[in-house]
Amino acid sequence: MKLIDAARVIRSKNAGPTQVTLDLMFDTREMYERALAAPSLKAAVIAQRFNVAEAEIIPYPAANAIKIVLPRRIIAGTPGDTDVYGAQQHRPILDLEI
Amino acid sequence: MSAFASTIDAWKREKGPLRILSASGQLGYGIPEPAFRAGLARKPHLIGADMGSVDPGPYYLGAGKLATARRSSKRDLGLAIVGAVRNRIPFILGTAGTGGGDPHLAETMEIIREIARENDLNFRVATIGAEMPRDVVKAAVRAKKVTAIGPISTLTEAEVDGAARIVGQMGMEAFQRAIDLEPDIIIAGRACDTAIYATLPQRLGFPVGPALQMAKIIECASLCCEGGGRDAMLGTLEGESFVLESMNPNRRATPMSVAAHSLYEQADPLSVAEPEGILYLADAKYEAVDERRVRVSGGRWEPATQFSVKIEGATRIGARAVLVAGSTDPVFIAKAQEIAASVEAMIRELVPPNPKRPYELFFRFYGLGVVGGQPVTTVPEEVGVLVECIGETEEEARAVAATAKQYLLHAPFPGRISTAGNLGFPFTPPEMTAGDAYRFSVYHIMEVDDLAPLFPVSIETIGR
Repeated sequence: MKLIDAARVIRSKNAGPTQVTLDLMFDTREMYERALAAPSLKAAVIAQRFNVAEAEIIPYPAANAIKIVLPRRIIAGTPGDTDVYGAQQHRPILDLEI
Repeated sequence: MSAFASTIDAWKREKGPLRILSASGQLGYGIPEPAFRAGLARKPHLIGADMGSVDPGPYYLGAGKLATARRSSKRDLGLAIVGAVRNRIPFILGTAGTGGGDPHLAETMEIIREIARENDLNFRVATIGAEMPRDVVKAAVRAKKVTAIGPISTLTEAEVDGAARIVGQMGMEAFQRAIDLEPDIIIAGRACDTAIYATLPQRLGFPVGPALQMAKIIECASLCCEGGGRDAMLGTLEGESFVLESMNPNRRATPMSVAAHSLYEQADPLSVAEPEGILYLADAKYEAVDERRVRVSGGRWEPATQFSVKIEGATRIGARAVLVAGSTDPVFIAKAQEIAASVEAMIRELVPPNPKRPYELFFRFYGLGVVGGQPVTTVPEEVGVLVECIGETEEEARAVAATAKQYLLHAPFPGRISTAGNLGFPFTPPEMTAGDAYRFSVYHIMEVDDLAPLFPVSIETIGR
């Protein structure tokens, strides 16, 4: 199953100008646990998808959600940036198999 | 007696839950009036609003400008201040004027004086400055008490000197000193959005953990409800717990929607760092009161042994000019990157860069993988073209953009069929200057022993 079909919300946004955070929210506990256990949602795979050195994966069971934190390749608003708010950085994970 | 003093006195006589109304998480983008009025009818002990953020990028902080339109800012400030002052309710505004620096505070105060005049209002305003003294920041750099947040360079004294503006995020400590001045309203520079709402509860002896936890949720108004929303949000602090209710009857706060809100724009959903300590949310509990109200508890406050302030700074890097266009030509689209490289070489020949400070030039072909920074798998039938130059001066940047226009329009390339022009322009001139350009140069944590000197408070009476 692809992440885009499994999650209710897949969003990205700055967490300050130096980091981007992605929130994956699931309708059910089962789907949340399935995603959390998926090899495709491990930090190393995610980091590679986004072409960054490291990624942090934070489970947040209170909302059946998984948070991903990435360093920004370019600090928000610095020349060369293409997404100042970081709100359109979710695409590379939409087709991950879980 | 001031609105703060009389509210504090009245609460001490009656005790009971404390009602706090969050008017807006983004004042200046339009406070929905019906929900705000419904909130006023609940007779809150405090009205708060947040006006700023680093989200809109480094320009507003550096240039000292508001991101929100002046007329929209005035409308929202008028709604909040007239509502607060006429009903004798204390009002706190955090991060005035988007950036929370001195010019942002000054422009916000100018708007507030206009509102007072036009509505025949008289009130006492405490203001809190948030621009960091350079000598204090440089001393902290030398003492290695400044730490980067995320991937930004280690702060240097030269970077501190070069910044157009550096602000620090004040916490509850600064707001307590402002309340001491017996104001009716408090207008703060760069501030933790939580401190806007948690300072009065702290003053009245409420446990700080739940107060800050409530503050962290209501500071975004009704965003914690299902489907989000900008409507005013009422938080009723009971002590160890609090109840959340949107002032728009159609918005529902549910245990899931409120829990999910802790994720928003946070790198860590389980802790929130404040200058005076850390709020821990791992034990947070959310229970439905009814179908649109939620009771929350579990926020735990741990005071810090060392105060720290998040500092933010922006540095001017030049002036920006841009060119906007589009293309539907399949041959041009297929070769866009190579064409851009040849045009760039031509531009650098015709507008020679200053070797000491060469201009920066970016060609962006929207449709070919710009926004996400990843290549696209299918070639589109149409692309948007944006050329951006950051030059030493506006004149230089504009010269580069104008040259880019001409040569990108007429660039020859093998297989070209559309020999009269490669681009469609949406308007004229298609190249335009976009003012000064900035970058974030400071986004760090600075350890300090004394918070008070960093956030000076003052009081003035406005109106008759």
